[in-house]
Amino acid sequence: MSQTKAGIQIEDLHLSFGETKVLEGINMVIEPGEFFAFLGPSGSGKSTLLRAIAGFGPTPRGRILIGGRDIASLPPWKRNVGMVFQSYALWPHMSVRRNVAFGLEERRIPKREIGPKVEQALETVGLLHLADRMPAQLSGGQQQRVALARTIAIEPQVLLLDEPLSNLDAALRVQMRRELLALQRKLGLTTIFVTHDQEEANTTSDRMAVLDRGVIQQIGTPQQLYDYPENAFVAGFLGTANILKGTMQEGAFITEAGQRLPTSENVSGANRIVLRPQNIRLASAGSDGDIVGQVAHREFLGSQIRYLVDTPDGRIVIDMLHSFGQPPFAPGASISMSIDSRSAPLLVD
Amino acid sequence: MNKTMTISALALMMTSAAAFADTVTVVTSFPRDLTDPFKAAFESAYPETTLEVVSRNTNAAVSYLQETRSANSIDLMWASAPDAFEVLKEEGLLAAVDVQYEGIPDEIGGYPIHDPDGTYYGFAASGYGIMYNTRYIQANDLPVAEEWEDLKRAEYNGHVAMSSPSRSGTTHLTVETVLQGEGWQEGWATWKWIAGNMNTVTERSFGVPDAVNSGATGFGIVIDFFGLASKASGFPVELAYPSVTAIVPANIGIIENAPNQEGAKQFVEFLLSLEGQEVLLSPAIMRLPVNPDAYANAPEDFPNPFSEEFAPDAIEFDVDVSGERYNLVNSLFDVLITYRLNDLRAAVTAVQQAEAVHAESGNEEALALIAEARALIEAMPVTEEEALDPSLTNVFTSSSTDADTEVVGRQSEIEQSWDSFAVQNYRQAKALADQATALN
Amino acid sequence: MPDSYQTASRGFTLFPRLSGAAISGILIAIFLMAFLILPVAQVLYVAFLDSRTGGFTLQNFQDFFNTSLFRESFVNSLYVSAMSVVFATLIALPLAYITTRFNFAGTAAIQALGIIPLIMPPFVGAVAMSLLFGRNGSVNLLLNQYFGFRIPFMEGLNGVILVQSIHYFPFILINLSASLRNIDRSMEEAAQNLGSHGMRMFRRIVFPLAMPGYLAGAALVFIKVFDDLGTPLLLNVNNMLAPQAYLRITGVGINDPMGYVISFILVVFSIFSLWASFLFMRGKDYATVQKGGGGLSRRDLKPREKWLAWGVILLILALVLSPHLGLLLLAFGTIWSFSPLPDGFTTEHFVTIFTQSSQYVWNTIIYAGSAALIDVLLGTAIAYIVIRTGLPGRKWLDYMATAALAVPGVVLGIGYLRMFHGVQLPFGLGQLSSFWGIIIIALAVRRLPYALRACMAALQQVSLSLEEAAASLGASRTSTIRRIVVPLMTGGILAGFVTSFATAAVELSATIMLVGRASDAPLAYGIYLYMQSPAGRGAGAALGILAVVIVALGTYLSQRIIERERIRQTMSHDQH
Repeated sequence: MSQTKAGIQIEDLHLSFGETKVLEGINMVIEPGEFFAFLGPSGSGKSTLLRAIAGFGPTPRGRILIGGRDIASLPPWKRNVGMVFQSYALWPHMSVRRNVAFGLEERRIPKREIGPKVEQALETVGLLHLADRMPAQLSGGQQQRVALARTIAIEPQVLLLDEPLSNLDAALRVQMRRELLALQRKLGLTTIFVTHDQEEANTTSDRMAVLDRGVIQQIGTPQQLYDYPENAFVAGFLGTANILKGTMQEGAFITEAGQRLPTSENVSGANRIVLRPQNIRLASAGSDGDIVGQVAHREFLGSQIRYLVDTPDGRIVIDMLHSFGQPPFAPGASISMSIDSRSAPLLVD
Repeated sequence: MNKTMTISALALMMTSAAAFADTVTVVTSFPRDLTDPFKAAFESAYPETTLEVVSRNTNAAVSYLQETRSANSIDLMWASAPDAFEVLKEEGLLAAVDVQYEGIPDEIGGYPIHDPDGTYYGFAASGYGIMYNTRYIQANDLPVAEEWEDLKRAEYNGHVAMSSPSRSGTTHLTVETVLQGEGWQEGWATWKWIAGNMNTVTERSFGVPDAVNSGATGFGIVIDFFGLASKASGFPVELAYPSVTAIVPANIGIIENAPNQEGAKQFVEFLLSLEGQEVLLSPAIMRLPVNPDAYANAPEDFPNPFSEEFAPDAIEFDVDVSGERYNLVNSLFDVLITYRLNDLRAAVTAVQQAEAVHAESGNEEALALIAEARALIEAMPVTEEEALDPSLTNVFTSSSTDADTEVVGRQSEIEQSWDSFAVQNYRQAKALADQATALN
Repeated sequence: MPDSYQTASRGFTLFPRLSGAAISGILIAIFLMAFLILPVAQVLYVAFLDSRTGGFTLQNFQDFFNTSLFRESFVNSLYVSAMSVVFATLIALPLAYITTRFNFAGTAAIQALGIIPLIMPPFVGAVAMSLLFGRNGSVNLLLNQYFGFRIPFMEGLNGVILVQSIHYFPFILINLSASLRNIDRSMEEAAQNLGSHGMRMFRRIVFPLAMPGYLAGAALVFIKVFDDLGTPLLLNVNNMLAPQAYLRITGVGINDPMGYVISFILVVFSIFSLWASFLFMRGKDYATVQKGGGGLSRRDLKPREKWLAWGVILLILALVLSPHLGLLLLAFGTIWSFSPLPDGFTTEHFVTIFTQSSQYVWNTIIYAGSAALIDVLLGTAIAYIVIRTGLPGRKWLDYMATAALAVPGVVLGIGYLRMFHGVQLPFGLGQLSSFWGIIIIALAVRRLPYALRACMAALQQVSLSLEEAAASLGASRTSTIRRIVVPLMTGGILAGFVTSFATAAVELSATIMLVGRASDAPLAYGIYLYMQSPAGRGAGAALGILAVVIVALGTYLSQRIIERERIRQTMSHDQH
């Protein structure tokens, strides 16, 4: 299945449902062959953006270029983007084979070529043996694969996945996301993956865009976004973060409660600091530390222990690696914490 | 015409459709029991001509002719009610054609057989009678009612049916006959007392013989051929001619601008010929020929309106008076009787009960109450003079005929005043009668 | 890629181009204007004319409200319509519930029998009911003989309610059954999981989910009964609105505008009722996530329940099929007068009609078949345009088509005569108003609302993502409709076709004005002719039986054909 890789460019895209603005000023460039994720909570506009690329929903303002061609005014069936629906949307009145053949038939591909292409697509997803079943006779994971096969059979320029794993159980979800990634690598298809699950986005995507309230918050690799969030939303949405308010003074961050946290960089005007739980070290009270507090609650997670600690700046979360036999701090114990200053990003609101 | 083929290939059939020149198209309210034998007889007498029958009830036929006058496709109108022909004639929808016939007198029972202006011709006579179901009256132990007066009696309460004169031209003639025979006030009183005994006023004129045939009701006021034909079909029914009856002709008329006027004239002449007249005697038709000679071959017991003993008290029917107040009488009947049948029935029943209770009692007070109740039921909102006054009658006719006449109101206004008059009187009559009954 | 797409209009919400949908919408609008709105307007505008001067006036409406008879008629019509809905629901609900919820041997037969009441030709239905349930009908004669009392089934408004609910309950049955079958099983299972079961679950979960279907059916029943004049007239009930309109419009030589005023009010009130039901249904679009996995789970009945179910069903069937039983007795009976059963039995009536009346049969099949075909085509198109596109004014297509419900047949007939008489057709076909094709159009217009409601309900149950999936795979809108939407709507379209066909086959009120020649007449007209004479009652009933058999056969055949088509569709690619 050779397909020239096509990049996607979105320029100043706006979209509203009546009076309600759903997408505002979306700009992004997705490289050819990239596995790209749209991550955000429900209502963030990520699915709407995906559907706008596919050509569904209200007509947006702005440009959507695929492979350099503006497709924003094309009807969905002229766009050559493959979309896998959250509900799979398999047609219940057609067999698996006919579902997969559908897009090819619509493209007026000669009949003798359709059969092999359908079989190849089904083989790719490992379902050739179920070709003559009806969708109702398949399990959820199988339906998912048929939906995928149906989409890749038309050799689209880009593949759009709308929360494709959300209807599967946890074990299957992990397995399917690896298969998806493997498939994407094999086909080299530019792929957009919509999810609200940061783990799915982190494990699969080359880069991702975090959306909130119709606005892109940040674009980057999963690691960039985790380590260098540009705002509190991104910091909080990706992993657990303790975000303390304060001000920069003489190369250090002074929290609202007046505690001084050394930082490696001097960001002028920074008024928030992001403390990842695993980047705070705990010691008994009286040790040398940046902040003092009292253990409020403790959770044993196996490889690590999570502490909720009350400090003058509020309750913060701290994770400590667990070593064999080491006794944990008891709730109520006074402790002191020191911060790895290099790992504490500063935010400017 | 094979429509399956024409749907696939419309153009193919068009060549075959040109053969209308020899077709005579007649719109009729008659059942196929009557039209089929005539069609067969006519087509065998004139093999080159086809009779095309379009069936509609009289009202629909008149509306159809009115609506399509701009491009008429009908040759003949063939129906019972002379009123319908009067309406058509007045609107200029009938052609005066000189039709040849012989052996038919000018009048039957005082009613002219043909339109004096030659726009329509009577081909069969009909009288009005009381049709009854023999099983029904036996089961309910009822005597035979032979006169209109009989139907007023309390024993017939709930056993009578008729159709509304506004829906059936023939019924209108019956109503008008009684009004002319007994006078306006007394005639209406008769109808109200009869109506008080009715269990239904039907919308179709055939609804009455149908109800009598099935035994839904015991007695029906019908045009004679319905009764005669029902009996001939085997139903356990009989027909009685009251001594006051109108003999009126059933008619045929040629439409103005008829596509095939010559063929139409041919058919009318065939109807009036002795050969055509004898077709009327067949058991499913049972209508009275207008040519006295046709009765020579009639079955036994076949009524002959030209004989001396037939309906001795037949009245002189005044067509002008009837035509003048035609719509007004129909409207009055509907407002006072048809639409308020429940109220009227309740009042009449209450009076009958009171009279039964006090038949022997001689209670003066009760009898006075009963008399008052009777007067309320019989009261009319319109006098005979008013009923013939153009300023009132014109309210009920179409504007096109006489736009200059001053009128006294709108139809719905007048009907509403009649309606409240009737409802109030009937309810009061019932209250008075109940009061009389309670005095026992 | 053709550039023309770039220049296309971008005003619509779903697909940004002046599409086939817009063109179809305009064509349908023109059709409805020409064959429904304008002809009816031609008749109804009389309501606004002063009957003497011919000038514009609202006086007639004032008169309407000042007339106590009309006010009572209005209340009576309202009462009869509401009670008919109640009784029709009582009949339809058990049938729909038992046949969709349980593994029940008679399901197919019951669903088929449930449609039969709709195909009772006018005149004969009321005649047959009177013979059975009238004051001196079979039932009351026997009751009176053995127990000395009568039950007034058919007296006054009772009779109208009885006949109407028996005649029109299939509208509720068909729509409700379709909705019940489309409910996702998980909905029911979730309710059971939360501790709900039996009737309680039916009332709280299943019935609310089936509400759109039920309401569609109930609204139809309400409006049909409100506008129907045939039944009240045949039972000689005059003090309802529709009969009042009819009596006043068709009187000879009378120039009473009140008939037109009432017709106008009927149309307006019916549209108002529809609007109200639309409002009520808004936001209750319970499309299941996916069809195919859905349908209520059926369970087996315990023996005692089975007997109970059969008892209920047989009782209901006996009631709803009683007009047909009466008709059958009439058709095979000799003389039937004031007795529980006819005096004797004969096949003579059938001999009569087979020798005289075969053209009625073919005419009926062609007229009703073509009309129903037009209806499902228009119905599917309108449903699609209304539900799936953003065409401006699309709702008006629905309103216009549905308004046909509110137009008494005789008004439409007169409207056609006024509008099309004098329009000469080419090829020697004669006048447009007396050309048999106009009968097909009249039937199609009159029955369009039935097909439309069925198509709407069916489309509402098709999940939008199934269409989007096709579009994203490259299927154009036409192709999506043809290959995805229509096959998934098959059940609803079929229901619409059957309803339109069956009811068109026995329609009389509009056709009676439009039949130009006896040779062009359909069955119902032939029955009407027979039923006008004493000797013709048996033959008319026999023709009525023939009509029922033909329509039932037609229904069965169309069901078979579409079923086979569906199987063929799903199998053809499997065996290559």
